[in-house]
Amino acid sequence: MAMAAPMRMSMARAPMPIDPRLLTLTQWLSPAYPLGAFAYSHGLEAAVQGGQVSDGRDLQAWLEDLLASGTGRNDAIWIRLAADPAADLAALDAEARAFQPSAERLREADRQGAAFARVTAEIWNLDLPPLLLPVALGRAAEQMGMDPGAVAALYLQGFAGNLVAAGQRLLALGQTEAQGILAALAPLCQSVAEATEGAGQGDLWSVALLWDIASMQHETSEPRLFQS
Amino acid sequence: MLNETAKLGTGTEVTRHLRTDDLTRDAAVPRAEGALTLRAKARDGQSALAAYRGAGCLKALFPRGRESVEAIVINSSGGLTGGDRLDLDLAVGAGAALTVTTQAAERAYRAAAGEARVTSTAQVAAGGMLSWLPQELILYDGAALQRRLQVALEPGARLLLVEPVLFGRRAMGEQVRQLAFRDRIEITRAGRPLYTDALRLDGDAVAQLARPGVAGGMGAMAALVYVAADAEAQLPRLRAMLPASGGASLIGADLLVLRLLAQDGFALRQALLPILDRLSRETLPASWRL
Repeated sequence: MAMAAPMRMSMARAPMPIDPRLLTLTQWLSPAYPLGAFAYSHGLEAAVQGGQVSDGRDLQAWLEDLLASGTGRNDAIWIRLAADPAADLAALDAEARAFQPSAERLREADRQGAAFARVTAEIWNLDLPPLLLPVALGRAAEQMGMDPGAVAALYLQGFAGNLVAAGQRLLALGQTEAQGILAALAPLCQSVAEATEGAGQGDLWSVALLWDIASMQHETSEPRLFQS
Repeated sequence: MLNETAKLGTGTEVTRHLRTDDLTRDAAVPRAEGALTLRAKARDGQSALAAYRGAGCLKALFPRGRESVEAIVINSSGGLTGGDRLDLDLAVGAGAALTVTTQAAERAYRAAAGEARVTSTAQVAAGGMLSWLPQELILYDGAALQRRLQVALEPGARLLLVEPVLFGRRAMGEQVRQLAFRDRIEITRAGRPLYTDALRLDGDAVAQLARPGVAGGMGAMAALVYVAADAEAQLPRLRAMLPASGGASLIGADLLVLRLLAQDGFALRQALLPILDRLSRETLPASWRL
C-alpha cells in the first residue's frame, strides 16, 4: 500500500548513548509490561463496528487526531505535571479522573495505572500509590530521575502501538501495514511530546470528540473483543 | 459592510453592527460589559428569587407560573465580539430549583481585536437543582471567545447542564475558517473535581472539524451533564434516543454525560429537544420552542 515513508535517518553513525534509565523506561512501556493494555481499544472497536474506521488509512488518521488533539496530548501533559517533584499528586489524579470522557475510558486509565503502580513500586522500590496511568508514570519517572519529555514521547509511541495492535485484531490489517502506520506516527509522537513542555492544567483540552463518542458507544457494543 | 447590513434582519443584529463600527475606532476599550447575579432559594416548598442584579448589557426576564425560578438571560449588546466581558454568578439554595436559559442563540461575531470572555460560576446547595440550559452558541468566522463555566455542587445537589455550539450557520453557507475558541466546563462536588470538559479550536475550524476523529465534518455539537440520583435509570432511554453521532455514559453512580454531534443546528435541536424534555421532566423553557 502507499504510505508516507518514515524518515530514514542519514545519521546512522551519530553517537546514540544509551542511558540505563532509557532501558527501564522501555521496559515500562513495552507491550509485555503487565498492564493488560491489550484488553483496551480506547473506543476503536466501536468506531470499527460503526464503519468509521475500515482500513489502515482510516486508522492512521484517527490515531493522528487522538495523539495531536485528544488523549495523547493530554496524557503527555499529565505525565509532565506528575513528574514535577512539587506536584500535589492526589489533586492531580482527581483532576485527571474528572477529565475522562466516559466510564470505559476512566476504567482503562484507572486499571492500567493501578497495575503499573503495583508492579513498578515493587520492582524498583518506589513510593507509588494507585493513580491514573499517565499520573502514575509521571510520578515513577520523577523518582527515577527520568526526562519527562522522553517519557512522554515513548509513552505516546506505546499508546499508539497498542491501538495499532488493536486495529490489527479488528481490521484485516497485515503486520507490515500495521508497523508502517506506527512508524509514520513516530514524528507526531515526538512533536506532541515536545510541544507539551511547560504546559499547565489550563492547557489540557480535547477535540477528539468522535473518539469520546465511540468510547461511549462501546459500552453497549456486542460482540466485543475489548474492554473499551 | 453594506452587504452585511442588508442581510441583517433583526434589531439585535443591527445594534451589534453599529458596535462593530465603534470597535474600529478604539479597539482597546472593552466593547460590552455585563454582570448578572441570580440567587434562588426555597420558600414555603417553592423556589423563589432571592436576589437579582443585572448590570451593563446583561439582564434577565422571569416568566411566571413555574415551580422553579426560570431566568431568561438577555445580552442586550446583541452578540459577543473582541473585548467583551460577561460574568454570570448563580447560586441555588438548599431545596431550591433554578433554570437558566437564554432568549435566543448567542452569537460570537468576528473579533477585530482581543477576545470575548464569558465567565459563569454557579453554586448549588444540597437538595438544590440547577438547570443550565442556554440556547446555542453560534460561532461566526473570525470569532475569538473564551468561555468558562464553573459549577460547585454540594453533596446531594442536582445538575442538568447543556452547551450546544454551532460552527457558523450552515444553512446560510457560512464557513468558519478562522476561529479562536476555548470552552471549559468544570464541575466540582464538595470541592473535588467531578467532571471537566475543555475544548479548544484555533485557526481553520472547518479543516479541524473535518478530521475523522474530531467531528467528521459535522458543524454542530452539544455536551450534556446530568447529576442526579436517577442518572443510571435514565441511561438506557437516553442511549435509545441518540443518533449514531452521539453517545452517553454513566461515569459515576449519579453522573451521566452525553455528547452529540450533528450536521447543523437544526439536526442538533431535533436530537437534543426530546432528551432535554426528558431530563427536565417536560419543563424545558418555552424560549427553546420558538
